[in-house]
Amino acid sequence: MLLLAAGLPAAGALAVWGLRRKPYAHWIGAGAAALAFAAVAVLPVGRGSGAWFAAGGELTGGWWHQFAIEWAPSLHLEFSLAVDGVSWTLALLTALLGVLCCIHNAVGAEQRASDLLGADRAASAPLQVRAGSFETGGPPQAPNRVLGLLGGRRASAPVQEPPATVETGGPFPAAAPVHGVPAGALGDDSESPEWQSPILTALLLAVQAASTLVFLADNLVLFFIAFEAVLLPMWAIIHRYGDPAARRRAAAKFALFTVAGSLLMATGLFVAIADTGTADLGAIIVHGGVSDDVSLLVFALLALGFAVKAPLWPLHSWLPDAHTAAPTVGSVLLAGVLLKLGTYGLIRVAGGLAPDGAAEAAPVLAVLAAAGILVAGLVCLRLPEIKRLIAYSSVGHMGFVVLAFAAGTEAGIRAALFGNLAHGLVTPLLFFLAGALKARTHTGSLGALGGLRLAAPALAGLLGFAALASLGLPGLAGFWGEAFTVYAAAERGGAWLALAAAAAFGAFLAAAYLLRMLRRVSHGPVAPAAIGIGDVSAAEAAVWAPLVAGTLLLGLVPGPLLTLFSEGLL
Amino acid sequence: MRVQAIDHAAMLPLYLAAAAAVLALFAGRFAKAAGMIGLGAAAAAAVWVGLGPDRATFAVGDWHSYVADDAAMGTAALFAALAVLVAALSGRQAGEYWFLLAASAAGGIALAGSRDLITLIVAVETLTLPLYVLVTRPGRDGAEAGTTFLIASVTSSATALMGAALLYTASGTVHLEGLRAGLDGAHAGLTAAGAALLLAGLAFKLAAAPLHAWAPLVLERAPLPVATYLASASKLGGAVAITWVVYFGLSGTASAGVVIAVLSVASIVIGNLGALVQRRTVALLAWSGIAHAGYALAPLAVIMTATGRDQAGPAASAALAYAVFFVLLEASAFAAVTAVRPDAGGMFGSDERRTPRADLKSGGPLESVLKGGAGNVGPGGRIAELTGLWKSAPLPAAVLLFSVIGLAGLPPALAGTFAKVAVLEVLASSAVWLAVVVAAGAVVGLAYYLPLARVLLVGRADPAPRRFALAVALAGLALVAVSVAPQVVLDFTALSR
Repeated sequence: MLLLAAGLPAAGALAVWGLRRKPYAHWIGAGAAALAFAAVAVLPVGRGSGAWFAAGGELTGGWWHQFAIEWAPSLHLEFSLAVDGVSWTLALLTALLGVLCCIHNAVGAEQRASDLLGADRAASAPLQVRAGSFETGGPPQAPNRVLGLLGGRRASAPVQEPPATVETGGPFPAAAPVHGVPAGALGDDSESPEWQSPILTALLLAVQAASTLVFLADNLVLFFIAFEAVLLPMWAIIHRYGDPAARRRAAAKFALFTVAGSLLMATGLFVAIADTGTADLGAIIVHGGVSDDVSLLVFALLALGFAVKAPLWPLHSWLPDAHTAAPTVGSVLLAGVLLKLGTYGLIRVAGGLAPDGAAEAAPVLAVLAAAGILVAGLVCLRLPEIKRLIAYSSVGHMGFVVLAFAAGTEAGIRAALFGNLAHGLVTPLLFFLAGALKARTHTGSLGALGGLRLAAPALAGLLGFAALASLGLPGLAGFWGEAFTVYAAAERGGAWLALAAAAAFGAFLAAAYLLRMLRRVSHGPVAPAAIGIGDVSAAEAAVWAPLVAGTLLLGLVPGPLLTLFSEGLL
Repeated sequence: MRVQAIDHAAMLPLYLAAAAAVLALFAGRFAKAAGMIGLGAAAAAAVWVGLGPDRATFAVGDWHSYVADDAAMGTAALFAALAVLVAALSGRQAGEYWFLLAASAAGGIALAGSRDLITLIVAVETLTLPLYVLVTRPGRDGAEAGTTFLIASVTSSATALMGAALLYTASGTVHLEGLRAGLDGAHAGLTAAGAALLLAGLAFKLAAAPLHAWAPLVLERAPLPVATYLASASKLGGAVAITWVVYFGLSGTASAGVVIAVLSVASIVIGNLGALVQRRTVALLAWSGIAHAGYALAPLAVIMTATGRDQAGPAASAALAYAVFFVLLEASAFAAVTAVRPDAGGMFGSDERRTPRADLKSGGPLESVLKGGAGNVGPGGRIAELTGLWKSAPLPAAVLLFSVIGLAGLPPALAGTFAKVAVLEVLASSAVWLAVVVAAGAVVGLAYYLPLARVLLVGRADPAPRRFALAVALAGLALVAVSVAPQVVLDFTALSR
């Protein structure tokens, strides 16, 4: 099952890529993601007690399940997977978001195909289609095939022109009126003219596979390799499918920051391996981490690496750019999965390998985290763009997680894990909603939006729900993580009280900026951009429902999850 | 007079390679086949000898001049295989071409087994000498490349010889095994000077800074198959020579570690900065190759500290492993470029020059072969000319993409990742600062590798020539194989005395 959980998305990615010309490629991807989700979901079946005991000279039993084969012993590399309460929840979240993103893509592609078919009957499609097939520059896509407009990719002069328009980035000017279909259907044009390509689904699945591998890896070298494997597909997603104006810069920034972080992390991991003589994550954690004299060094290197990914202020500057430029599904995965890699690494790997170093470095980490919360809150108050605002709010939320981890108490660690997971449900929902909004109105600017409450009541309602969850309303998922963080920090007393106060003030700022966003977007008179937009469609509702349900569930019954965390190996 | 018994089995790969060279010289129109078969047999023999028990011959006391252990035979097989790859990438050539190539490969095989300074330097010379001729394309550009290479090479050989002489003065022996013992109480200044001169001279082969400047110039102007050889087999020669000298001879000498550290850091910095501004494919690979030489040397630098000297074995193994992974990636990248460039081949047979149709189409007179040959673009062409290669020539594009990602050290091209892991693992335990330098270098590397990868994938291109499909495919397969089973490489690169 462990193998399936990581292998299915990878196989799915290959299958989708191989069948990218087929109209059903999207659904293969969605199917692979769904199977992977099922594989992850059944992992708790038959789990052990969670207690470690010695058997045959080896500690065993702490993981629910384990799987290991030798790969390259001279590099300490073993393909070894393991799962427990901490990693399972995150793997489940990854799988869930993977499924949702794949379905989102597939539904979008279907919709677009049917729209194009309808438009073709009105004999006005050729221009639009040609643009699509050209800009992909590649295999003609499903709709084209339906239309029989293959016509040779490097056909002739007239084909040369549309792409120029598309490349420069504007949404296709004539598209919506000519087709006479609701703007929403074609809306993602403004995000990217080729967003529905099956290759995007394949890349998403690749990210999912690598991230799942990170969460399940029980070998430090494997962990590093999986961590790096996330980079290329995500870079490609931002670079190829992102917002044309900003994607290149954002993708390059993302790649360089991430690689710098992961190489520093790798150095830390190898120092730990050299010190302990093994790369078995579970064994090192159980034995209390690395020896004292390298502990601080290991923790500093690891924390620096993970802080880039998490991201922790002041290493966060890649995040808003990447989020703003990425397509909706890319943002969802970035927020829901990639940031979790950083926090998971920080909590389990950095904290587990070098507990002493973590304790020593905690004040620094905590101050940076608190500063991050405040900075993110203040910046968000002034941001004019909705996706950027949500992205920056992630910096604040991750600040809470890191602060809770730095507090180091049991309550703190649990708060960190809980806040991490809650953020992984709420922020992707926000990004889905923001993406839908941008697709409908062709703008993300808060100044140009308004009156969503009247134009699309259900969408406005969901946005309100997600915003409230994000600002930590009791009864929703966001609350517990933040409340316990403040509690954990205050519990330490002394200077930590000031940090707790700063965090609490940060939570207040979060309320302020999210309500500001709601006021601008939902209330007031209907803005011109929002006139006549469609409300939530059934397919969208189906994609978002699990996130809404999860947010409610975590908010109302946090108990079982906290129990899972307490059994985890930390 | 007692004649020493020679272990001919240990020498078998060398005999076969030398025989291939002689056969190629006289085989006339079958020269290519003779050379390739002979070198293939040499590779097979090296694998066979390597799988058997370790052998050694030409002994003075306990010290052997020629050793056929796993590491030696593994690298020997790699030398022969790379020469076969280069031969497969060369079009029709005169018989001398195959003779020179096989002779150079024989030098590589001799180098792999050499365990004393004289054998080592003679082997390095045998490896290099034929290349003086091979790099020289007809015309002024080619002559410039050939002269540059000749002068740089002769200078560095003289430097290395001087260093070897100083070490001999200090220790009284030229056997690497003997050096380790002999240098213990030797004059420190003499040892340091000798080590510095010898290593710097050998670093020329690896194109490590400060003797790096020839590499971009010569690689760019040499015919592409020869550039492939220079960037792979010849660099492997440099890496092997330095690893052997440092590990077997100087592993107790701290000053040698300092020299290596300086060479390594300088190469990483200069190579990466140089590569950042390149707009031509071969130049980019050449400059980044300088940086990679720095990464390969980095693990050897740990012998400058006491804790590092205990680690000399793993460090040398990591350096060799990195070099092997690197030359595989580099060879594949160059092979793919060779396959898609119109102006490949033709050194003695310059009348075979292909119609510059693709060039004329893509860029007009500025980029045509006629001017491209005479100007400074070189046969490798600009990076921009690779635009959309993914669509026009999927196989070479896939191999090139895989190699480039591997050179950047990223999964899914795991060969490069493993190389980086091997180096970082050694450095993390005894020289963390150097690990950070390597990491920083790799980050900069991403800044030029990713755009190169992007160029391959996006856009459209005119149809590129498709040649040498089999050779490129085999190179790609080899890469995939070591990505899946890195232990194959790591096993034979694990050094022991």
